[in-house]
This record gives sequence, structure tokens and C-alpha cells, in this order.
Amino acid sequence: MYLLDALSTPAQYLPIAIQFAFGVLFVAGMIAISHFLGPKRNTSDKLDTFESGIEQIGNARQPMAIKYFLVAILFVLFDVEVIFFYPYALNFKSLGWEGFAAVCMFVTFFFAGFFYIYKKGALKWED
Amino acid sequence: MNLIIISALSGVVMMFSGLFVKNNRTISYIATALIIFLSLATMCELGAKSWFNIPQAEAMLRTSVYGKLIGVILTIATTFYFVLSGKDIERVGKHVADYYALMFFVLAGAGILLSFQNLLMLFLGVEILTIPLFILTGAQKQNLKSNEASLKYFLMGAFSTGIMLMGIVLIYGAMGSFDLSVIGKKAQFATPIHGANLMGLLLLLASMAFKVSAAPFHFWTPDVYDGAPTVFTSFMATIVKVAAVVAFIRLFEGSMEPFHTSKWQILVSILIACTLLVGNITAVFQQSVKRMLAYSSISQAGYMLFAVFAFNAFGKEGITIYGLSYSLATIGIFSVLSKMQDITFDGFNGLARQYPGIAFALTVFVLSLAGIPLTGGFLGKFYMISAGAASNSSYTWLFILAILCAAVSVYYYFRIIQAMYFKERVSDTPVFEVPVSKAFPILLIVVAALIILIGINPQILLQYLYF
Amino acid sequence: MFLVLLIVIPLIAGIVAIASQSAAIAKIVGLVASLATLGVLLNVLCIPNGSEALAYSKLWIGSLGANFSLLLDGPGKIATLLTAVSFPIIFIASWNNGYKYGHQFWGLMLLAMAGLMGVFLANDMLLFYFFWELALIPTYFLCSIWGGEKRIQVSFKFFIYTFVGSVLMLIGIISLYGKTPDASFSWKSFTQVALTAKEQLFYFWLFFVAFAIKMPIFPLHTWQPDAYEQSPTTVTMVLSGIMVKMGLFAVIRWLFPIFPEASSQMAGIVITLSIIGVIYASLIAIRQDDIKRLIAYSSIAHIGIMAAALFTKNNMGYEGAVIQMFSHGINIIGLWIVVDYIEHQTGVRKMSELGGLAQKAPNLTILFIVLAFANVSLPLTNAFIGEFLMFNGIFQYSVCAAVVACLSIILGAVYTLGLAQKTFYGEPKSLAAIKSDAPLNVIVALSLIVVMIIAFGVYPKPLFNLIGLVTGAN
Repeated sequence: MYLLDALSTPAQYLPIAIQFAFGVLFVAGMIAISHFLGPKRNTSDKLDTFESGIEQIGNARQPMAIKYFLVAILFVLFDVEVIFFYPYALNFKSLGWEGFAAVCMFVTFFFAGFFYIYKKGALKWED
Repeated sequence: MNLIIISALSGVVMMFSGLFVKNNRTISYIATALIIFLSLATMCELGAKSWFNIPQAEAMLRTSVYGKLIGVILTIATTFYFVLSGKDIERVGKHVADYYALMFFVLAGAGILLSFQNLLMLFLGVEILTIPLFILTGAQKQNLKSNEASLKYFLMGAFSTGIMLMGIVLIYGAMGSFDLSVIGKKAQFATPIHGANLMGLLLLLASMAFKVSAAPFHFWTPDVYDGAPTVFTSFMATIVKVAAVVAFIRLFEGSMEPFHTSKWQILVSILIACTLLVGNITAVFQQSVKRMLAYSSISQAGYMLFAVFAFNAFGKEGITIYGLSYSLATIGIFSVLSKMQDITFDGFNGLARQYPGIAFALTVFVLSLAGIPLTGGFLGKFYMISAGAASNSSYTWLFILAILCAAVSVYYYFRIIQAMYFKERVSDTPVFEVPVSKAFPILLIVVAALIILIGINPQILLQYLYF
Repeated sequence: MFLVLLIVIPLIAGIVAIASQSAAIAKIVGLVASLATLGVLLNVLCIPNGSEALAYSKLWIGSLGANFSLLLDGPGKIATLLTAVSFPIIFIASWNNGYKYGHQFWGLMLLAMAGLMGVFLANDMLLFYFFWELALIPTYFLCSIWGGEKRIQVSFKFFIYTFVGSVLMLIGIISLYGKTPDASFSWKSFTQVALTAKEQLFYFWLFFVAFAIKMPIFPLHTWQPDAYEQSPTTVTMVLSGIMVKMGLFAVIRWLFPIFPEASSQMAGIVITLSIIGVIYASLIAIRQDDIKRLIAYSSIAHIGIMAAALFTKNNMGYEGAVIQMFSHGINIIGLWIVVDYIEHQTGVRKMSELGGLAQKAPNLTILFIVLAFANVSLPLTNAFIGEFLMFNGIFQYSVCAAVVACLSIILGAVYTLGLAQKTFYGEPKSLAAIKSDAPLNVIVALSLIVVMIIAFGVYPKPLFNLIGLVTGAN
């Protein structure tokens, strides 16, 4: 809170503004300098789409299974939820039975969600 | 608290009922039972303690009597919505239970918006409120317009949420707290107003104006309302909008003391004037009733914003009356519209001869929206403008503009009445896509009677404000 | 309590009539209800003015300070009497007009009656505004469903006109409400509002425009001939006989007490406008060929004189205008009944295509001639009493205005007698032949009116008693 009290007038934001300006100038300057100083040799290989050094084949816009994304997003979702166990583990003793009950409720909801996606068929890979 | 917890749980129940119940009608019955239970629960909370006593949450959520009353209004409106439009929800797509679940989650978000005490809760509430709406907007997967609307809504919504977060961050930077009462207290002594605070308030104003679709932040509204399945447009234009307006009031009421002066009213009056003008004048030129209602919902939001202009008891009372009568009327019109073949004005031709009950109820709804006396809509508008006049009478131009806009709105609302009563039906195609049940007109008339009841005796509603 | 009945009887009867789904039942309900209202009213009229029994009040919207309060005063008595007398006559006269969806027609008529009664009784500004609109909505539907070819546009014009007017009034109501000493809508608090001279003028115009549109006064009258022409004649009777009196009544009940200085200050402008309207409308009436339009313009002329007389703000003008409210109401309803019959029989409204109706319909002709005399306010007809007092009042205010206004009597004679001559006398035209004399119900309705015309023309004292002003106290 000390920090915030100290920063209570607009004038004290000046360093931040300077930093902003410096950041912008630095990035813009670097791009500009490399643009002007860098040697330019345009060959057809260079202008092609980069595809891990292999020559490109066919069109990039091909349909692919949405299932991959679905599973990925579900993974992220549950992964994030698991993170909540860490603070609980640290305070396991001090939170006592009440805390245990709360976490049990959390886990129940958690499983309810899992059950839901399972029943909905979100994890089914084959049609 | 009842509203938030029970609606969230109801949402979960609905999700699971979709797994086990295959009959859509049964799903609708379950949802209706849940929403009736929910509205009873919110009513029980009115004037009594919440069923869930969580003292730790006080710093985050604090429900006032006013918030509770609005909660009751929202749930009652949703009940009528489920009853009137249940069959149309079933026709939207395959995942009926999920639609209901999403709407319950929206209600939970609305519950948070009615009682937030902390800016983080505001953010959370807004997110819980809008994310299900993105999905509902795109519920018709085969319909390109629905997809487009959903994507548009998502992009614009995400953008405005970003602006809101930025505003919250700036206010936190200036004030050192997320708590509304702390911010309010600090702001009283902070003169001149802190630059970062001011910037934060402006960003919050813009993002909230976006949520209630006030001009000039309204551009998403017509396309999204038009593209979304008609039943869900009804939900978005009413319950969600009222909740957002109340959140708007709550956000700026206590915490924005330095802003309360003339400067604030200048800003809001410009906002209101733009909203009224854009909403009303554009609505005049619409041929599709659905699109007309989208623009009319913009203009109605303009009237509700008078409460944000005034911040007085009048404004609060007005929002209760306005919120209920506007929601009921709009839900009623949409429930008919979503059953119709042709959603232009011509589709209504000769409706009165075939379905006199439906036509009568629609007339009451339209009169209420236009603000003709004896309906709740009139008293709502009356309260809103009185609130403005009571708080600062030097804005005569704004009040005259508001009332003249009401006169303009008569033009496009009455086109529905003209089509129903005075024009003959030319084509042989039936009015409705699906046959309407016998109970439907009776239900509509009940809703219409309720609107008239509010218009004649608003005391039945307002007395709860002063328990 | 009786006062509430005056509103509730037609209201409930209207709802019953619409719900009955049968035109025959609706007609009977309408007649019985309107006669019952008349009975109740006659009972009430015996109570002297200012008595407690003529007021009723009940809390309505507490937080706003609005009450459901009714009051019957002198002009109110005349106006309610006009309403209660006219509706049975209108119902009798249009008994045989078979309207499509008849139950709705009669039901809406009764609802309009309830609204009118409310306007004449309301003693609370918000309540007054409610009834003001309630009277408008049924009329809008009546005109738009059963009117002539251009009914939708014309009645919408009528609606927008009056709605804009009432919306302006609403602005005035809201702003004045904020200035009342006890934050209430009662008549008393509104009259106690302290306003500067400038504010008074501003609010005066907000209210006056609303009332002037309803009357209508000269530049705001353009909705009226169209609306009268396109509405079904039965509705036109209500519109021109009773509804235009709402504007005059509101001026007496609300405008003068709330803005005493401003209304005196602006009297010159209003009277000038009214008299311009009188001459203008009379001249146009002379050139009309359509009977309905002719009577519509004649109505503008008569109303103009009433408005001018009111704004002179002396007892003569005031009394004359109030008496004339009643007389003009029943006279013009009589004229419309005749027009309605002619239109139904011949299908023609143009004077150039009519003629010689007297040969086939002598009874109708006699009654019509009496009505025509009343319309030019010949002595011994009721209109003479009112016109005489009004011109006296205007004369006291300004000789010049009185001279110009008196021209209207001559012009009135020109168009009214022209109407009588061209339609009832001369050679019958083959195009539009009338088959028989008027049926019993029309004759009964017209006779009732004619009896009243002559009775009040000879012995107007009961009407003066109702107003309750001591004449000559000026």
C-alpha cells in the first residue's frame, strides 16, 4: 500500500511515461535500423512460405478434426482447476475440517463437470 | 444470495437433465419448475434473511433491498419467458437442456451484478452474464446469420470487457482498492479528481454503456439481436439488459462521488440523447419487426439511463416499474414473433380477426412500450423523466427530447396495431409456423393484465422497496 | 361514491360488451349502461355545488403523492350531463347500423364514455392525464377499424396530433409537479405552485397547445375535418359532440386556476386566433360540397367562439361558453344523426348529388330544420342563450373582436340554410333517392334532442343552476 500512496499524483507517473516512450522508440528504432542497414537479397526461396525448410506441398487450408482442439481445451480447463490444490496443500492443517469439506465440494463439482463432458461424448475420439 | 446460488445450481441440474431426459417437453417442464422455485426463493429473501448465510462474502457481495427486488423482477420475468416461449426454445436446436442451463447461468451472473461490492465481482458478473449469451446467440448452428451474430457479439464483447478491465485497473491504481465503499470514501476527499481515476471512470462508463447498448456504443445491437434466434433475442433484450442497467447504477452510485457533479450529468445527458435519437429514428425505418424491436430496445435503454443521470429514489423506483413492464411487454411480443412465419410488419396483417386474444395482448404490450397511460410503460417513463427533473431541472432540453422521442416511438409501435386490426390478410399462408396452444392466448392476456395492474397501481411493487 | 359509479358503470359495461361476442347483447348492454349512468348522474346533479358529496378521494400512488380523487363542479356537471345524455341518444340513433364486429364497436364506445367521464371528474393531475389518454385510445380504434377509405392514415394523424399535444402537457405536468409545495398531483397543490411570470408563460403554452389541439383552435385544427369525414358517423358524434369539449373543459378546470396571470396576459392572442379560426372555418364551410366536411368546419367555428368567450374571463363569457358546451354538443349530434341516416340510405354525402329529400321524408325534414335553426342560434333555441351570453362577454372584452365574431352568425346562416335547402328541398335527384322516412329509432333520438333544444331555449334556468354562478355579479 505504501507504494500506491506514493504514486498518488499524476506527476509521479512521469517515470512510467518515460519508460513507455523509451519502449516504443526502442522497438520502432530497432525495426527501422535493421530495415535500412540490413542487406537485401530477394530470392524466390526466401519469399516462399517457411515450412521447416522443406518445399511446400498443397494448400495450407485443409480441414482437420476439431476434436483435437476440444480435448486440448478440456485439458487446459481441468489443469487449471487442479492448480487450486496447491494452496490447499500448503494450508492443509490450518484450514481444518471445514477446509476439507470445502475442497470436497470443489472436487465434487469438478467430477460433475468431468462426468458431464464424458456423457456428452466430448472425449470420444471415434465417431 | 439465494438468486446467485440457486440459479447456478439450477444450471447444473439442467445440464445433467439433458443427459438423462430425452424428451424436450419434459426438459422444459423441469426448467419451468426450477425457475418457479427460484422466483419463490428470491421472494422469500425479500424482507427476510437469505437462506445462505455467508459472512465471509460480505466484502464481495452485499445485497440491498433494491437488489433483491430487482432479482425478484428478473426471475418473474424469466418465469413468464420460459412459460411463454418454452416451445420455441425447443425448436431452436438439439441441445435444449443446455440452452436452459445457459440461461440459468446468465441469471446467476445477473445476481452477482445486482449485489457486487467489489470491482472484481463486477468483472466476474459481467463475464458470467455475457459468455453464455455468446453461445445462445450462435445456437442455430446451421444458420449463417446466427453464426455471424455470435462471432460479432463475442469480438465486441471481449473488446468491451477489455476496456472495463483497463478501467478497473486504473481506478485501483488511483484509489488502492477494489471495494466500492472504500473507493467512494476516498473519492470524497480527493479533489481535484485524480487523473488515473478519471480515466478509469470514463473507461468503465464506456464499457457499461456498451453492455446496455447505449449510443454511440450500440453498433453491435441490431445485428446481434437480428441474427440471434428470436427466442434468445427476447431474453437478451429484456432480462440481461435490465440487469446491466442496475449494475450500471450500482457501480456509479456510491463510488463515483467526485463525478457526481455537473460534469457527470453532462456526459450522461449526451449519452441519453444520442441513445434516444439513434434508437427511435432508426426504428422508424425498419421493415422487420424483429429489427425494429432491436432498435426500440436501444431507445428503451435510453430511458432507463435516466436513473444513472439522476441517482435518486425516483430513479430507483422507476427502474423497478420500467424493468418489469418493459421486460414483460417485450417478452410477450417476442413470444408471438418467434412463432410467426413472416416477421415483417405485413406478417401481422389481420391477426386480430383470427386470434383476437393474442391481438389484444399484443396491443397492450405495444401501448406499454410506447408509454400510453394505464400501462406500466407509461408510469415507468414518467418516473424516469421525473427522476431527471427532480435531480437537475436545468436540463429541460433533455426532458423535452425524451418525451418527443416517446411520441416518435408511437409511430413505429403503432404499425403493429395498424397491421393487426386495420389491414386485411392477403396471402393464405398461416400466421404461425406451428399451431399455437389454447393456453397461449390466455397466458398472454395474464401478462397483459399484469402490465395494466402495474400501470394502475404501482404500489404493489414499490411497497417492497421500503420494507 | 356515486362519482365513481359514473366511471365504473360504462367501463365494466364496455368490457362485458366486448367479452359478450355478440353485437345484439352488446347493444343492449350499452344502452342499459348509458341509461344507468344517466340515472346516477341525475341523482348526483341534485346535490348543490361545493357539497362534500360531490368529492371523492382515495390514496392511489402514495410515493408520488397521486390520489384517485374526483370532484364535480359547475362546468363538470354540464359536461358530465352532456356525456350522459348524448350516449343513450347516440346508441338509439345508431341502433340499426349493422357494424362488422359489432360487440367490439359498442364496447369501445362505452370505454370511450368511461374515459370522458373520468376527464370531466378527475381532480388530480395524473389521474386527469390518464383519462385524457384513455378517452383517446378507444376512439383511435373506432376510427381506424370502422372508418372510410383513408381511415388508417387519417386516424393516425389524429392520434399523433393529440398525442404530441398530451405529451407536451406531460412535460408541463412533470415540471410543475417538481415545484408543488407538497409534492402532490392534487388540483389544490397545482394551483398553489409559485411561478415567475416567465415560467408561467412557458408552462401555459405547454398545456394550452394540448387543449387547443383537442378543441381545435385555428392553426392546430387540420386533423379535424379529415377525422370527422373518415370516421364512422356514430364515432364522429362522440368526437365532435363530446370529445372536443374536453379541451374547453380542461381550460376551465386546469388552465385558468394554475396560470391565472399568464392566461389573462395571453388572452389577446388566443382570442385573436380563435376568431380568425371562426371566420376562416365559416368561409370554408360555405364552399364545401360534402355534408360531413361542412358540419366539421361549422363545428370549428362554434368551438372558436366558445374558446374566445372563455378567454375573455368575465362571467358572461364564461357562463355562455359553459352553456354552449352543452347546447352545441347535443345540436351537432343531432345534425350527425341526420347525416348518418342520409348516408346510409343514399350512399351519397355530396350536396350536389342530393335534393328533395323532404318529399319522401317529411318527419326527418321537420326535425332537421329545427336543428338547423339551433345551429344558427335562432332565438328560442338553446344555442341562442349561449351565443348571446358569449357575444356579450366578447363585447365587454373588445368591441372590435365582437363585431368580427358576430359575422360568424351571418356566415353560419349562409352555410346551414344552404345545406338545408340543397339537400331537403328542390327537385329529387335520381342518383340518390331516399326510399322512406326515417325509422322510429332515428325519429326518437332526434325528437329527444329537439325537445331539449326548445326546452332549454325557453327555460334555461336549470342549466344556470347547475353552473351555480350568480349572474350579474360581475
